[in-house]
Amino acid sequence: MNPETDSQTDSQIEQQELLAEDLIEEVSIDGMCGVY
Amino acid sequence: MDELLGEPWALSPSVALRPEPFGALAYHFGNRKLTFLKRPELVAVVRGLGAAPDVRTALETAGVPASQHAAYARALRGLAATDMIRPRAVEAAEEVG
Repeated sequence: MNPETDSQTDSQIEQQELLAEDLIEEVSIDGMCGVY
Repeated sequence: MDELLGEPWALSPSVALRPEPFGALAYHFGNRKLTFLKRPELVAVVRGLGAAPDVRTALETAGVPASQHAAYARALRGLAATDMIRPRAVEAAEEVG
């Protein structure tokens, strides 16, 4: 097992996760109806 | 790799996309969910789903590199969880019945 390879893989996985979370963001509008 | 990539999907008929500088706002008139699509490429993917034979083709057509397909698949799963997009089989079934 190569620690450098493991580290690279972890980094790639982290990048993927960050990217996925960076693509969409859900917004709750419940409770806003009283504002307007 | 996510099985979704090989499946035919489409934008839900209850969803409106409003273009924004960062990408688009997706609003679902049925469940009143609102989601920011934070990349123009993702908007292109979502808009292109219905015309593509599968999700992977929609990603390629929108210029998303293969190294990012898994991340986009995860994002699309997130959109599917709130019915922003749906498998085309579901769409066809609703049209019939």
